[in-house]
Amino acid sequence: MSDWTIASLADAIRTRKTSSVEVVTECLERIRRVDGQVRAFITVDAEGALRAARGLDQELAGGRSRGPLHGVPLAYKDLCHIAGLPTSCGTKTAAYFFAERDATAVSRLRAAGAVTLGKLNMTELALGPFGDNAHHGHAENPWRAGHAAGGSSSGSGVAVAAGLALGALGTDTGGSIRLPAACCGIAGLKPTYGRVSRAGVMPLSWSNDHVGPMGRTVRDVALMLQAIAGRDPLDATSSHRVVPDYTARLEQGIAGLRVAVPENFFFQGVDPEIADGVLRAIGVLEALGARVAEIRVPDPETMSDVCNIVSRCESAAVHARLVRERPEEIQPVVRTRLELGFRIAAYDYLQALRLRARLARAFIRGVFAETDVLVAPVIPEPAPLLARAIDGAPEEVAERQGRFSRLTRPFNSLGLPALAVACGWSRDGLPLAFQIVGRPFDEATVLRAGHAYEQAAGWHHRRPELG
Amino acid sequence: MEANRNDLVVANLVAVIERAAGDLSLAEEPARFAALLEDEAVVEDAG
Repeated sequence: MSDWTIASLADAIRTRKTSSVEVVTECLERIRRVDGQVRAFITVDAEGALRAARGLDQELAGGRSRGPLHGVPLAYKDLCHIAGLPTSCGTKTAAYFFAERDATAVSRLRAAGAVTLGKLNMTELALGPFGDNAHHGHAENPWRAGHAAGGSSSGSGVAVAAGLALGALGTDTGGSIRLPAACCGIAGLKPTYGRVSRAGVMPLSWSNDHVGPMGRTVRDVALMLQAIAGRDPLDATSSHRVVPDYTARLEQGIAGLRVAVPENFFFQGVDPEIADGVLRAIGVLEALGARVAEIRVPDPETMSDVCNIVSRCESAAVHARLVRERPEEIQPVVRTRLELGFRIAAYDYLQALRLRARLARAFIRGVFAETDVLVAPVIPEPAPLLARAIDGAPEEVAERQGRFSRLTRPFNSLGLPALAVACGWSRDGLPLAFQIVGRPFDEATVLRAGHAYEQAAGWHHRRPELG
Repeated sequence: MEANRNDLVVANLVAVIERAAGDLSLAEEPARFAALLEDEAVVEDAG
């Protein structure tokens, strides 16, 4: 079980080397054995998963295949509404969030043949980059006990890395897909803003929220994106743009691809092991034929502050009732961050939104006029010791959280596609990672670059040693 | 104490925005962001 990828498993199911029931049963058994240790799941739907798997096996026996996700077991961050399963959003309240219909991304994956194993652990209300959760237990880094799993899609990162699910959905408002992907040594994509519907998913910040796939390989991420991308009438911000075939060009290589390396901001104050790992990855891209050039990028720090102001205001508005009526239920650092939003004037919120449009225009035109992708570190240091990361007064922890997510946050305001890919392991056995950022709606190029690197480097074959 | 520290955090964030937004064009509006993403997207978008 622990060696399957979505691509290899789907092929094995299609050719009857295994069945969906067999694989789902193996996943459930592994969850039973390992999840007490890593705490990836909040809800496991064993009965529903086996029922769906049986139905999909019958469909296949009857000659109907739904495609490359047929019978593949996936799991979803516990802020995606799925009828019949509670959606805690990592809070103390079992069913904190409710939507009229299932999350569109989940519905689309199910329609494509995916089996739902259950709902995954996350930082409370998706606010925090370390993966701690006082209500459901801290997600555990599968590579090294006691270290942060990354957040807020902590369970998504852990479940995939630990082989409990073949793929997962996460959400990313300031780095919440890419940070756990980086900490757990897997691939995770924050698509372009508007590429994937947010309908049926708990909002944190409408302007910065992105739903995206996490998988063991870039190809798996592409397969999931294929199913979930595209216009959704239930999400007014989703794009009408045609969805390309994301796997068609994965094997085309990257000869001639223009790769930019930022000379400002993104490598400043970064741990040497991370910086070395990313620079080695850039060397691999160059050896594969990419044309690498250093570039000075326009002002990511202001973009990061814009992201902060907008996210604080919108999250305070979304979760005001919880903050005002039951503040004692919220973890202190989460409450501190939510309360900041009540202190920001509408004038400053609107100026931040106006500024975002101008900064994004300058960044996109300045950078992508002369390059195809930008590469940068994801995390400023390998996954820290969790106890140390969350120790101290709420304001201190919030500052630490801000520093840990400073390399991912600018791309939420920019709305650009950004893919986190593992690029080695530290001396302490913790994953290193880099992100590949592309033009708006150019996920295909970002995925092609990530896949080319991954195949050349081979880090995706590593598995953590768990029970 | 906590309120003072939060006020300081907000004041710092807002000061950055105030400085950077000082010369925003009158025509700049939030909706231009989504339009920008569409306008700047890769031309070749059919696989």
